[in-house]
This record gives sequence, structure tokens and C-alpha cells, in this order.
Amino acid sequence: MIYLDSAATTFRKPASVRNAVARAMQTMSSPGRGGYRSARAAEETLFRCRGIAAPLFGVEQREQVVFTTSATHGLNIAIKSLVPRGGRVIVSGWEHNAVTRPLHALGAELVVAQAPLFDTEGAVRAFRDALSAGADAAVCTGASNVFGFALPIEAIAAACRSAGVPLIVDASQSAGVVPLDFTALGASFAAMPGHKGLYGPQGTGLLLCAADAVPLLEGGTGSASLDQEMPPFLPDRLEAGTHNVPGIAGLEAGLRFVRRVGPERIARHEQALIRRAAAGLQSMEPVTVYAAEADTAQLGVLSFTVRGKSCEDVAEELARRGVAVRAGYHCAPLAHRSAGTLEGGTVRISVSAFSTEAEIDAFLRILHGILAK
Amino acid sequence: MEYYLLTARSITHAQRMAQVLERAGIHVQLRRAGNSITKNGCGYTIQIPARLYRRAADALRGTGVQPVRVIHVSGGVSEELAL
Repeated sequence: MIYLDSAATTFRKPASVRNAVARAMQTMSSPGRGGYRSARAAEETLFRCRGIAAPLFGVEQREQVVFTTSATHGLNIAIKSLVPRGGRVIVSGWEHNAVTRPLHALGAELVVAQAPLFDTEGAVRAFRDALSAGADAAVCTGASNVFGFALPIEAIAAACRSAGVPLIVDASQSAGVVPLDFTALGASFAAMPGHKGLYGPQGTGLLLCAADAVPLLEGGTGSASLDQEMPPFLPDRLEAGTHNVPGIAGLEAGLRFVRRVGPERIARHEQALIRRAAAGLQSMEPVTVYAAEADTAQLGVLSFTVRGKSCEDVAEELARRGVAVRAGYHCAPLAHRSAGTLEGGTVRISVSAFSTEAEIDAFLRILHGILAK
Repeated sequence: MEYYLLTARSITHAQRMAQVLERAGIHVQLRRAGNSITKNGCGYTIQIPARLYRRAADALRGTGVQPVRVIHVSGGVSEELAL
């Protein structure tokens, strides 16, 4: 299989991740509950994982690194901690439903800081304009899951700081490829999945916390158990229930992989592959490619459409020939509305550290063959 | 037997204290603690031999990682210290 759906999940993981999950299932039980060896092993894994994540993402205290089940889980915590019912929230035009649906559920007034695709300066200007009227919060994705548009998070964060508006960063597509210094950003929260650019298993995620958080779940934490309120301190406040220990063990191994290889190196590799794919697609007459001119404006995600064919049909024909892509709206109708692709959606390819030039070339050959029929 | 118990608010807090002390050359034992020690249900403590307590307190004070409570135990009698 030629796997080009890493924006959904990085299907190929380092062997160390698979081994860590298996080892955890054989040697670790529940952390924070018992005082015996397998509980200790689980506790040490969680402690180590937080300890690797904290410096990697510029977090001062490892307690600020909260384990979640996904970025969606983390975003729900962050949004529901900051946004009152009917509150005013500024978002980029490229947000995922993991951001817009919780805001919709809160009846929030959404102010979209609209800017053209890949226009980084335009994005900053749009945020500054929107922030001038104040807001309860701002939410910005590190990169669009549809188009790979890498938003200028540092400049947007600076604008939010100047305006006194708390910022939530959705790092779902940027964690592991774009360096993130959470403390320097001054953001209130940053949410990321463990199973995309961090190469951990599905069912894991991290929420970096700098603001008071409202628990999404109440339950057992293995601490302060006589108190019927959730503990006021992190990470326990946001970690009710038994941890996904095998998942976190795998996430630890994934974080070590990213730290060893380096986010910038992974990004360069992915961006080169996307440029290669874009060049090949642009030579196919019925294809419209959504590619940035500046390398830095786009990460390892690329969308395209084919005149005369639905994106679902294209994806299905590719799948029949062993190429895995995603088609449709990618759970991001706002991004499609912003780019003008809301009518039919797009076909999306997305790469990882394990994708190769040979795979890109094979994808292009196969697509060419499909279109030639 | 004389020792001190440093109580933690959570396992993560206990692990942080343990890490500070291990780095200071003080080997510690992480132990589950019940309500009689924590006064708030389940929790964790770090047990330190009495002769090492002063050094441990200095090490923790230097990093700002402080126990919630400190309990001195001697001859089976416990006494909480004022922090």
C-alpha cells in the first residue's frame, strides 16, 4: 500500500513505538492506584513521557503536560475552559470541526479572521483586525489539515498577547514538524494528537496548559479521594479515569523518535515530497492543485481536485490500485469554505517521515493512468 | 525507627520530589498513603531516614518542589511538622 493519509494518522510507526506498546501490555498495570512493581512501572512511564514532552514543547513544568485521548479531547477541554456560553471567539478560516463544533455547541459568536490560502501576512492582519474588538478567546490551527497551510502562530500569538485575548493552538498537524515553544507563545492551551506527527498510537494526545482548566470529566484520579471536587492541581484535574498506559508508552517512544530526528528535519523531508507531488499534479491538465509558492507556508499536506470527476471517485480508484488518500471535506468545512472548495471537497495526500519519493512517483503514475482512461 | 514522611498531592508530585532527592544523592522510597497521613484520602508519600531529612529539605527548598505535609515518625509516634 502507498500510504498517503498521514494527516489522518501516521500509519507507519517506528518499531520502538510498537515495541513500547507491547512491553507496556506485558509489564504495566494502572498508575497512581497501587504500590507494586507493575503500577510503579506505569507511573514511571507517564512521568518520563511528560518529562520528554515538556522541554520538547517549551513547557516549564511537566505537570502542565496533560494526557488526553486525542487533540479533539484536548480542544474540548480548552474551549470549554475559556469560552462562556454565547462568547465571542476569533478563529482562522482553516479550523477543523474539533474546534468549530464545540464552539457551535456553546452558541459562540464565531469571528473568522479570513485571509487567502497560504497568505501568512494576510492571516496575521486578519487576526489583528478581529482582535481589536476583543474576544473571550482565539483559536488557531498550526496548519490546515486540508491544505497544509502553516499559519504564522508566533505572530498571531503576539497579537493575542497584545490584545489580552487568550489563545488556544490546535497543533494537530504541526506538532512534531513545526517547533513549538509553548511558554514563549504565551498561549493558554495547545492541543495535539499523539498519533499523527508524534508517531504514537491512536487514543493518545497531549494538552499543554497554562490557564485554569475546567474538567471535562469527573472521576477517580488516585489522589485526594475524599474530596468530591476534582483536584485543583494539574495534571490530575484533567485526568480522571485510568490512563491509556500502553498508548502513553508508545507515545513516549514516538516523542523520543521526533526528538532524535528533529522536527525541522522531518518538516524538510515532508515539504520536499509535497513539492514533488505538486509539480507532478500541476502537469496533469484536468487537475487543480492547491500548493503554496513559498515552501514555508505549506507542510506535508496537499489537496487537489480533478475536473469532471468527484473527489470520492478519484480516491476510490486510487484505493483500488493500492494508494491510500482521503477525499471529501476532511471534517473541515470551514477550510473548504475559505478556499472555495466547499461544493465538492478535495482529494488530499499527506506524508510522514516514512514516506518516500518512490511512493510519490508511483502515486503520480497511477493517477495519470486513471485520468488517461 | 525514626523517619520522615513527605506527603504529595499526587503521584506526579511525589515523583517530582523523588527526582529532586535522587539527584541530590538521597535514595527514597515512594509509598502509597492512606487518609491517616494525607487527611484527604488516597495519596503518596516519600519516606526518608531521619538522618537525611535536613539534607532532603534543603534540596527540595532549592527547587521549589515542596511537600504538602511533613510527618516525623519515631517509635511509632507521628507528629506533623509546621512547614
